[in-house]
Amino acid sequence: MQFSFAIKGKYSIWSGTDKKHTAELEPILPQWLKAARDAARNVESEDDTPDFMQANQEKQKAPISPPDFLAGLQAQTGDDEEDEDVPSWLANITGASPKSKPAKDEISSDIRWVEMGDKDDFAQSENILAQQPSATEKQNEEDMPIWLAGLHTDTQSEKDELTDWLQDTNASNELPPLSIGAQFPNAGKENDEKEDVVEPSTLDDTPDWLKQMSDEAQEKSEQDTSSQPTSPLLADGDIPAWFEQLSNTSAEPIEAQTPRDAPELSIDTPNWLEQLPDTSAEIVEDQTLKDSPELSGDTPNWLNTLNASEENSKPESAEVAEPSIPTSEAFSFTDADIPEWLKSPTEPQDKKQDTTPAWLKSEDQSSEFELPAWLASEDTVRLHQPQAEEPVSDSLLSDLPDWLKSAAPETTIFDTPTDEAEVNLEETQMETKSSVPEAESVDPYASMPAFVSDSQNSESIESLFTEMPDWLSRADEQPADLAITTNEDILPSNDLPSWVEAMRPNNSGLGQISSAASDQSAESHGALAGLQGVLPAGVGFNPTSKPKVYSLKLNADDEQQRQAGILEDILAAETSPVPIASFGMLRSSRGLRWTLAFLMLAVVLSTTILNIKFFSLPQGLPSEINSAIQVMQSIPENAPVLVVFDYEPSRASEMEVVASPVFDQLLLLKHPRLTFISTNETGAMLAERFIAGPLAGHSYQNGVTYSNLGYLPGGQLGVRAFAQNPSLIAPFDINLQPVWGSAPLQDVSLFSHFATLILITDNADAARVWIEQTQGLRGNLPFIIISSAQSTPLIQPYYASGQVNGIVSGLYGGALFEQYNAGRPGTARNYWDAYTVGMLLATVLVGIGGLWNVIVGLRERGEGN
Amino acid sequence: MAISLDLITGVLSFLFTLMILSYLIGDNPVFRLAVYMFIGITSGYIASIIWWQVLAPRLLMPLLPALLSGSIVEKVIAITPLLGAVFILMKLSPRLSKIASIAMAFLVGAGAAVIIAGALIGTIIPQISATINFFDPQLAAQRNINVIEVLGNGAIILVGVVTSLGYFHFSARQQANGTVRRFFLIEIIAFIGKIFIGTTLGVIFAGVYATALTAFIERISSLINFFGNF
Amino acid sequence: MRILTAVIAIAVGSMVLLGYFSTSFINIQTLLLNWAIILAGVAALAGVFNLITVHGNKVRQAEKNSIYSAVLVISLIATFILGIILRPQHAVMQVILNGIILPVESTLMGLLTITLLYAGIRLLRRRVDVMSIFFIISAVIIFLGSATLPSGDIPLIGTLVRPWLSQIWAMGGARGILIGVALGTLVTGLRVLFGVERPYGGK
Repeated sequence: MQFSFAIKGKYSIWSGTDKKHTAELEPILPQWLKAARDAARNVESEDDTPDFMQANQEKQKAPISPPDFLAGLQAQTGDDEEDEDVPSWLANITGASPKSKPAKDEISSDIRWVEMGDKDDFAQSENILAQQPSATEKQNEEDMPIWLAGLHTDTQSEKDELTDWLQDTNASNELPPLSIGAQFPNAGKENDEKEDVVEPSTLDDTPDWLKQMSDEAQEKSEQDTSSQPTSPLLADGDIPAWFEQLSNTSAEPIEAQTPRDAPELSIDTPNWLEQLPDTSAEIVEDQTLKDSPELSGDTPNWLNTLNASEENSKPESAEVAEPSIPTSEAFSFTDADIPEWLKSPTEPQDKKQDTTPAWLKSEDQSSEFELPAWLASEDTVRLHQPQAEEPVSDSLLSDLPDWLKSAAPETTIFDTPTDEAEVNLEETQMETKSSVPEAESVDPYASMPAFVSDSQNSESIESLFTEMPDWLSRADEQPADLAITTNEDILPSNDLPSWVEAMRPNNSGLGQISSAASDQSAESHGALAGLQGVLPAGVGFNPTSKPKVYSLKLNADDEQQRQAGILEDILAAETSPVPIASFGMLRSSRGLRWTLAFLMLAVVLSTTILNIKFFSLPQGLPSEINSAIQVMQSIPENAPVLVVFDYEPSRASEMEVVASPVFDQLLLLKHPRLTFISTNETGAMLAERFIAGPLAGHSYQNGVTYSNLGYLPGGQLGVRAFAQNPSLIAPFDINLQPVWGSAPLQDVSLFSHFATLILITDNADAARVWIEQTQGLRGNLPFIIISSAQSTPLIQPYYASGQVNGIVSGLYGGALFEQYNAGRPGTARNYWDAYTVGMLLATVLVGIGGLWNVIVGLRERGEGN
Repeated sequence: MAISLDLITGVLSFLFTLMILSYLIGDNPVFRLAVYMFIGITSGYIASIIWWQVLAPRLLMPLLPALLSGSIVEKVIAITPLLGAVFILMKLSPRLSKIASIAMAFLVGAGAAVIIAGALIGTIIPQISATINFFDPQLAAQRNINVIEVLGNGAIILVGVVTSLGYFHFSARQQANGTVRRFFLIEIIAFIGKIFIGTTLGVIFAGVYATALTAFIERISSLINFFGNF
Repeated sequence: MRILTAVIAIAVGSMVLLGYFSTSFINIQTLLLNWAIILAGVAALAGVFNLITVHGNKVRQAEKNSIYSAVLVISLIATFILGIILRPQHAVMQVILNGIILPVESTLMGLLTITLLYAGIRLLRRRVDVMSIFFIISAVIIFLGSATLPSGDIPLIGTLVRPWLSQIWAMGGARGILIGVALGTLVTGLRVLFGVERPYGGK
């Protein structure tokens, strides 16, 4: 097993190319091959080519393929309908001439299902077969490989060249199963389906050399493989002995590889490929394949074969009781496994004249039995290939997947030849040397050893090609010699199936020899590897010089480089994290919060409940309050005063405390006509609350002593519009009554007609809006702002600039103003103790607590550092 | 009736005050309920105010007489804001919100003009003039401020204004090492500006606290008064 | 649409702006501003409707705390209906204002007291820099200066330092802030008038 894997690793399709030096084989080349080569070298006209060389050249196009495959191809050639689908190389690969159309038409349906695997055709063929079974053949109906049956059918119809040597299997009835059957399991299927058409009479066509080899193989098998089970099928003797010997290497039963339940396996699949998956699938799990034959339909057959072959090559598989068919890579060959025709080391020497392969002898006997295209000269091929078929074949070939083109042959030719196989090859070579004259008359297909390489235990592929038969080595060599005149015309690259080309040794010695003899270069890669002069080595085909190296460095001067550096620095500065002096998340201290809440509640509750008025009201009168007081005192009596209520309900308590003493004094002293307006939605209602609450004692009534213009939307827009034309912007009061011209707004039509503008706001922005938007429209209108403590700092600059005439701010301002209003209404006084305590508490907490937190924070940061 | 309304008002005020004060313990469903109700009621109240104090008097009431007996100009003047109002309401529909951009553009354009003029006329020029005029001895004499005080306080205010503006100057140049720093003089001005800004914000903070404290006192007083009245 | 809105904004802004400096445009300015305040009121109303939509969706989708949204929607609609029927200045609406709106807002404002104290105490634990220090110092001075003794103002602090700090030092910074805000507002308004900025959805 290790041996087989080693071989596979070295000579697998993925392995590198090894040169085969076969120059030393020149002296032992058969004379006919030498003559053919010489003729090819000196060829000047096609007429000078010997007939046998023409045959050889024609056969060179034929791939080394199993017989069943070739048989099917022959059927294809005769089908006009299939001509478009079958490449010419494939149709002619069997050597059958297209002239036998009528006969092929008769069996076309039977053959076609083998080839194409059409389900209907298969059913039809089954019907046909069902009408023809004989009594003896029925016994082996299930065991007979289909491909063999198909071959016999072909033999019956047109006496295909395959039949000659395949019929010889009658002589090896007792031989064990063939390993080749593992490679082409569909053959078993075909045989199973068509064994009824096999007739003993066809055995007469078996070549003599095959008969001899089968006899020898029988003897060998009786000696070496007596322990191996024998398939019942083999009792019919339809399989060549060397087939049977090869099949012994596999423990897979033939039964298993006969998917009777799965005729779809052959659908649209070339015959030779159909056989491959069956082997693999059946080897791995035959029952599964029987039950669900479509499983192998989606998997590349050759892959299945490879996988199965690896499994099949395991010793356990070889120990299966039932006869099995090895895969193409089942390399555990014994002597008994070697085909007899390769395995007779002495007999060919003893019977040099007699053992000349029949296919060499019969070449001239029948035009139907021509040399394979890959053996035939290209000129000959051209003679036998209709010109019209070439493009068809090209197209069809192009339809084949590449992996099919490349994979198929390599599983056949490079499969591990054994040492024995090398010996046999050498012996066979010796035979061919001695039988050169008869080679022309031998049916090439009858003994075409295309499958030999598959069955060979390829320990050394080098030895395979150095010791390969002359006809094979010559076949590789000849195209090189003839390439000058023939390749371009006859063998365009697309005509040759890639797997045929791939069979040629990539860097064999033959290639060297031919390259030495030819002035054209040999292809070393791809499908044309091993061929010479196939593709003209035109200028520019290969790079003439080392590719020019282009510098990736930018052509930038120092200034640009410097600027780029600056840009990089900027980007780096942007992307790099800037260390921010963060202090981490401080946990919210619920205890501190609750402590503060308790303190505030306690202070406010105690001072409010006690209401002892312990703390004195503020004494110092700020200038802004003093100015406000002066303005209030300057307002004429019963003058229209515009009061803007721009504060939220949340600050209503503060604003009312501040505004109450101011308006109390104003209403008490001046009895102004008040007009309320608000840029806050709830401002108008707060005005009503204010007039009905703290100023309730003044009995101001809407529409009589005051008017409420309501909500003025739009912020600055509304203020500006109102200042521009108040009567137009706010024509109605909150009761939707026309207000302009009423008592409160009597003699007022412009903004400047008001005696005083008093803004009560808790928002510095609102104050700024009124200041800004009425800047040019106030004239001499006094402007007093009663503000919340929070907005005073930002209103103070307007007082300093003279835009505002007075400010009364917060509870502090309210307490001050209240003192100048005889302590009325007294709300500020009521709140003052709590306010003072709250301020002192805040001073202590924020001052001391802040200092404490500074120390703690510094200590924490110090510890953190 | 009035008594009952006052009672209802007092009870509601008391309950809602307690519900909000419950936040001192922590977030709780009662607090949330009070807040959501407050938002809903306030919104509904504002909506009704807008209807009665904006749409009705400024949009709908002028519309009917203009359509019935007004000239074409009056009709256009009356209809145009109605059309704009429809556009604004289309903003509620994502499919028609693009149409609302016309009315929004109108609002934004008018607002931009107003704030430009207001800022220029109402703040920038007067405040700059006030900063300069603070050093005017005649004005100082009118306000009974001596010269030393004028110079001292005027200098402080001037420095405060300049440095505060410098603090908001964020233009900077890139140094050779890639770092971005403001000009050295600007850095000094900004540092001084921090002092003034900090001081101003501290004063504002104290004012906000005073306002909040006043509100807190008022609420506690209302609770005490509620119990005192009943 | 983008061009149309930009044209409208620029044209309206230009005419309104001209009304500040030319009496010829005062009428058109007033007219435009009158329209603008109506639209502003409608926009506020649209905001209320949007609030209904948002919370209505939450209720329909039964999201978390959707019960509060339901309360909100119900109270909103009920108040709106009452306001439409009774008018805002009605006594019942005043009860709503004085019994719910004002107490809630005032209490929330009162709670801010504790929050501000808490923040003032913890401020210097987070950051100690010039601005924070002066912030706390000025705040403490104002606190102390706003308080009084039983005998009157706190000497020096209440009579001298506090007024000097709030009317000179704080006014310097406040004026700087106001000028800065005004400059920013001016620039923003100019950008809108020049069509550089289109906050109305143009770009």
